[in-house]
Amino acid sequence: MKKIINHPSRPERPTMWRSMEEFQNTPEFEETLQREFPAGAAVYDESGLSKRDFLKLMGASMALAGVGLTGCRRPPSFLVPLTQGVEWTVPGKFLYYATAMPTRLGAIPLIATTSDGRPTKVEGNPLHPYSNGGTDVFAQASVLDLYDPNRLKAIKREGASTDAASFDTLIGEIRQRGEGLAVLADSANSPSRDRLRMELKVAFPGMIWAEYEPLATGESTAAVVAAFGDGTSVRPNFEAADVILALDSDFLDSTEAGPSFTKAFYQRRKPEQEGRGMNRLYVVENHYTSTGGLADHRLRVRACDIGAFLAAVSVQVASLTGNSALSSAASAFPAGTTTFDEVWITECAKDLASASGRALVLVGREQPAPVQALGYALNGALGSLGTTLLGYNTGAAPKVATIEDLAAALSSNSVQTLIILGGNPVYNAPANLKFAELLAAMPTSIHLSLYEDETSKMCKWAVPAAHYLETWGDTRTLDGTHTSIQPMILPLWNGVSQLDILSQLLGRPRSEGPEIVRETFQQRVGSTGTALDLAWNEYVRTGFLAESAFPAAALSLNTGAITAGIAAYQPSPADGAEVVFLKSSSVDDGRYANNSWLQETPDFVTKLTWDNAALVSPADAAELGIKDGDMVEIVAGDTRLECAALIAPGHADKSVSISLGYGRKDVSALMQNVGFDAYPLRTVATPRFRKGVSVKATRGPKYKLARPQEHQSMEGRDLFREGTLDRFKKNPTFALNMGMDAHLPPEISIYNNPLFQPEQMAKEQWAMTVDLNVCNGCNACLVACQAENNVPVVGKDQVIRGRDMAWIRIDRYFASPESSLENPEMVAQMITCQHCENAPCETVCPVNATVHSEDGLNLMAYNRCIGTRYCANNCPWKVRRFNYFDYNQRPIDKLYFGPLAPKGMADSLKMSKNPNVTVRMRGVMEKCTFCIQRIEEAKIARTVKAGASDKSKVPVAPFKTACQQACPSEAIVFGDENNPDRLVSKLRKDPRGFTMLKYVNARPRITYLARIKNPNPAMPGADLVGNINTPDHHGESHGEAPHGAIDPHGSPAPAAHH
Amino acid sequence: MAESTATIDPAKHAETGSTVVRPPLVLNERTMGWISNYISSIVEARTPTWWYLAMGVTVPLMLMCFTMLAYLISTGVGVWGNNHPVGWAWDITNFVFWIGIGHAGTLISAILFLTRQKWRTSINRAAEAMTLFAVVCAGIYPALHVGRVWMVWFLAPVPNANAIWPNFRSPLLWDVFAVSTYFTVSILFWYTGLIPDLATLRDRCTSKIKKFFYGIFALGWRGGNRQWRHYEMAYLLLAGLSTPLVLSVHSVVSFDFATSVVPGWHTTIFPPYFVAGAIFGGFAMVLTLMIPAAAIWPSLKDLITPSHVDKMCKIILLTGSIVGYAYLMELFIAWYGGNPYEQAAFWNRAFGPSGWNYWVMMTCNVIAPQFFWFKWCRHNWWAVWILVQFPNVGMWFERFVIIATTLERDFLPSSWQQFHPSIVDILTFIGTFGLFMTLFLLFIRFLPMICMFEVKAVLPEADPHYGEKH
Repeated sequence: MKKIINHPSRPERPTMWRSMEEFQNTPEFEETLQREFPAGAAVYDESGLSKRDFLKLMGASMALAGVGLTGCRRPPSFLVPLTQGVEWTVPGKFLYYATAMPTRLGAIPLIATTSDGRPTKVEGNPLHPYSNGGTDVFAQASVLDLYDPNRLKAIKREGASTDAASFDTLIGEIRQRGEGLAVLADSANSPSRDRLRMELKVAFPGMIWAEYEPLATGESTAAVVAAFGDGTSVRPNFEAADVILALDSDFLDSTEAGPSFTKAFYQRRKPEQEGRGMNRLYVVENHYTSTGGLADHRLRVRACDIGAFLAAVSVQVASLTGNSALSSAASAFPAGTTTFDEVWITECAKDLASASGRALVLVGREQPAPVQALGYALNGALGSLGTTLLGYNTGAAPKVATIEDLAAALSSNSVQTLIILGGNPVYNAPANLKFAELLAAMPTSIHLSLYEDETSKMCKWAVPAAHYLETWGDTRTLDGTHTSIQPMILPLWNGVSQLDILSQLLGRPRSEGPEIVRETFQQRVGSTGTALDLAWNEYVRTGFLAESAFPAAALSLNTGAITAGIAAYQPSPADGAEVVFLKSSSVDDGRYANNSWLQETPDFVTKLTWDNAALVSPADAAELGIKDGDMVEIVAGDTRLECAALIAPGHADKSVSISLGYGRKDVSALMQNVGFDAYPLRTVATPRFRKGVSVKATRGPKYKLARPQEHQSMEGRDLFREGTLDRFKKNPTFALNMGMDAHLPPEISIYNNPLFQPEQMAKEQWAMTVDLNVCNGCNACLVACQAENNVPVVGKDQVIRGRDMAWIRIDRYFASPESSLENPEMVAQMITCQHCENAPCETVCPVNATVHSEDGLNLMAYNRCIGTRYCANNCPWKVRRFNYFDYNQRPIDKLYFGPLAPKGMADSLKMSKNPNVTVRMRGVMEKCTFCIQRIEEAKIARTVKAGASDKSKVPVAPFKTACQQACPSEAIVFGDENNPDRLVSKLRKDPRGFTMLKYVNARPRITYLARIKNPNPAMPGADLVGNINTPDHHGESHGEAPHGAIDPHGSPAPAAHH
Repeated sequence: MAESTATIDPAKHAETGSTVVRPPLVLNERTMGWISNYISSIVEARTPTWWYLAMGVTVPLMLMCFTMLAYLISTGVGVWGNNHPVGWAWDITNFVFWIGIGHAGTLISAILFLTRQKWRTSINRAAEAMTLFAVVCAGIYPALHVGRVWMVWFLAPVPNANAIWPNFRSPLLWDVFAVSTYFTVSILFWYTGLIPDLATLRDRCTSKIKKFFYGIFALGWRGGNRQWRHYEMAYLLLAGLSTPLVLSVHSVVSFDFATSVVPGWHTTIFPPYFVAGAIFGGFAMVLTLMIPAAAIWPSLKDLITPSHVDKMCKIILLTGSIVGYAYLMELFIAWYGGNPYEQAAFWNRAFGPSGWNYWVMMTCNVIAPQFFWFKWCRHNWWAVWILVQFPNVGMWFERFVIIATTLERDFLPSSWQQFHPSIVDILTFIGTFGLFMTLFLLFIRFLPMICMFEVKAVLPEADPHYGEKH
């Protein structure tokens, strides 16, 4: 085979030789010669096949093998679906029912999404007159409470499970005894409960009915009664308000008044609006709130000085308006020792007085009643009554006892049976009542509760309560609208409702359906027969009774009573610091302590998760010599609280704020070592603030605080952009050319990307806008996303390690042109996947697990992802979340045990998952999908609608992403930017619009609309307001660019620069 | 050939002053026979006690590494300290560190071979072995740092029914190809070079078992002309293949960073800077291993001469200076480029919360090698050994600074978070040294650590004109 190159023939006997073999020249030698010294071995002669040919053939064979193998397929096989479905349901289709979640002051009207008979998500009820379809963080998280495996699951007697029959026997005994009965209830705003209560009053004449809500004590009612008389309620009318002064009032907190305050306020916050123009907001508060973050002018004042501050403003307004009633009321206010910024007060008062009839003053609900009453007097002087502050006739409600009255009755031994409906008074009753001791002495005590909490453990009987999604009920929203609550599922753990217990006490048979609620409804509408049926059906279907809100009432100010109240007001003269009790943005008054979604939702201002902390001002912290996480001791009277401190920019000096609701012990594993309990410091007389406390640093070890965002400064980067109203009017596109954006060269591509050609793009191009002017950081979008997209919880330890899984986060920065920590501006920016057209994450994924769709989505193929985390590294927004452990499958306190930890989630939690969204496993990257399941649902509906016609001619009906739907301020707008009818396509070209990090040229699909502030030029520090970004480059004229809205087809944005 | 001057009596040349005298490559006029005998005797001698003691340390460390990796795979990447801004930390730092060390061997054996640097012969075998073992250690990280190790085969372009291919635009995929090619070529290169020496050991064997194994791996080498001819051609081709790889592997590794958009990564200087750094770190590791070996077998000093060490120190000085230049140039460009994000990235590297890492890097990589300007430092082996520890440490810190401290603070300050290694991070990394040293100890015990036949070829006697008068 080999080509033999013969060596030159040698003579028989060489004349020179190197070896005997060569000399002898044997055939063996010849053979060796050929073997050892071959030549031309590279060529095979017979076939003429050169090495080059060989490689060609091999290469071709390999290629063919590759092509051929891809043709191999597994034989197809088919699954046969169920032939009989569950009634009413179309597999894979959600059913929606109207319901409502009762809250402290009213209720949030909801639409519950159910899948195969289990509620998985709630949305606001946009049909409801007191709703814009938005929700709050607690409503969003309430679904998790329903499925919480730690709920109380059986009736317990002295801690041991017992059966319903023995409880029925107990109720029988109580009925027989008839006297010595007391009920302590939470606020439910339920017409049916009120009706049953009145019936009980008849059946048990000696019954004490007390109501207690730790964060809705009587101060606000007392103030309204003093100012306007009984049976009246007041609500601000933000549409009419041009100038608003909020004193210790976080009125934009949608968890308090529902989303409608937010909505109404923002109607007047838009800088582009025609007519009366943008409103102006003054906020005076001791700690930063989301409302304070939006203020045009904010002043730090201690909560205990709010009254004196209000009096000072009132004096000024009284002299400007010549209102003697206000003048006498204000001058009756006890003089304090604190001095305020006189210019601030004078100019603010001038602004208020000049907007007479269009001004509004709001005072926090927990401020002492005389202070709030003085606020009403000030509103009266400003002509606000009936214009910006509207009155409603609620009708005279029967008196309920307070928890103090109840405590007095308990200690006088006149009560044998105490029934506690909801609430958790052992934990949260005012400390001076010593409620736990009183309860322990009760011969019979019953607690109806979702959890076996502190109160349940002290009661002789604990009865599992039904969740609002499990029961029939009714409620009233803040405006009084009669609203229905209907069950989505049978009680998971035999829970009973408050109505059931009350009806049982009345000796009625257990109701299986809506009988109690329907009876109340019937009394309300007053019809019978078919008319009632129709009205009832409509009530349950829409979730409310139309035209059932409180009627409007004229407000007449009782200045005499106000002045008398103020004159009698004796603020505690104690000096020293104050401690201010806050509602927790995560656990409310403590009731959501077992809700891991909420525990892991960062407080908007502090970014703290899984804990509370004492907020101290930077100056106080410097004086105490403490840093974040150092322990401090707060001493008030003989009560001491040791807790971690957190330095809060913008906090008032000599003031400490602490959230209530934490520090609960021995209730569930989730609640262990979570925060510090501030209730022991709180008494009946000090619901909002307690004066005369001393704060000192202790030498204890640093406490670990879990904050997903640790850095507070924007570092001079123009990520969040804002300007003043003046600047916006002069140059509406000022936000486009800030910082580096002013230096960007024209974008000229020499590569005509085939993927950006119109034929490669779908007709719909999804995009989002976020209006920074109206986002107040309420967190509703975060939890809505968590519920919608099955986002796991990771626990405090993992948050400290920086591994939270939230798909949406709200970046909160403190910024000040003067770099002052004392009173910086606070900005909030909702960040989620930007769905970049030139996504940096997509190019780097080695396995093509993250790719782009034709409709402009940045997709994640979870089961393709191997978890290199390269995409997350290359994401400028750092929105990608990596599942470092099996967060969905392993208990969060045993993550490090790996396979030794039990695997799998509780069955009830499995029921809470959205069936349309994959529950991701460990080792996989995940991120916002723009709610692709909702996009696909809408596209399928479009296809169905189009039928045989060309579906590309049928537009996809508008729908909302989960975050958008939850947003109470309507800051988030999502849709098809190719469809000129959609709001998003207009907002993407809004003059205020800008995209973040433009220089990276990632071309985000999220446009942010710059925040506009409306400062009063006469106010001190007005030049610093709305001015946190880098100064303009060569003045505004440099950046008068045509709007550079991102063109989805990739044509370069027009060049704007010389 | 330049080295032939070594055959001339240095004293004579010193008199005439006509030529700069090159020091001989083998001292003490060792003969070919001595070389074979001595190198083979290291392998053939009874296993020394210190070897067992050393293995007693390194094997448990290696097992610790494997235990930590088993824990990692069974439990999740969370056992490491990685977090959300810092998706890569010690894992990729260690990968780049080890792969960098793996550069010296191939550089010595391929580039110095092609440029006919004959002094390479006494160090290339050990350096190549070190390369391989370093690449083994390096390979652990990219393979196992992923979230779903059992799906790593997605990286291979396997034809499949879903028609999903790897993403050929991803530098990480280039990395997979670059590193696996490098490992394959390096192991072939090393093994090819071993064959003649394996045959020597086979021929000297006294035990049947040894003879069997050495025989198997010697592939029937007889030393015939035809075999030598094939050998030379194969070795030359492999050297040719390896040479671009020396430059490409670390360039490709640097692309992982350079092609990204992250400020501090997005720089065009990375490929040459990384290659220089790799050679720098690799030579430091060669010296770290060779100097103790020469201390254990004193006669090795006739083969690994002060001249060798001197040359390697000079390479370290050169590459260290290139690296230092690159560090300064990065800073200059960040300033000159005027991009505030880039400027902040470099400011944070030096003065951010993890800034101390930067100064460790600067001290070890830029300042420490400057001592090699002094001849004394290059010729006192104690000094050399101590000084080369600085690049070993510094190069690890360089990678940590580039990878982790850059990710700690990128575009959005809201995401900024520091990285803290977990105990598993630390033990795994220490464990890879156990693996590396175990493999190296096995190598010096069972294989000739110096390429006998190549050293013989650079002896004066190997010159056909040896002994002729000029």
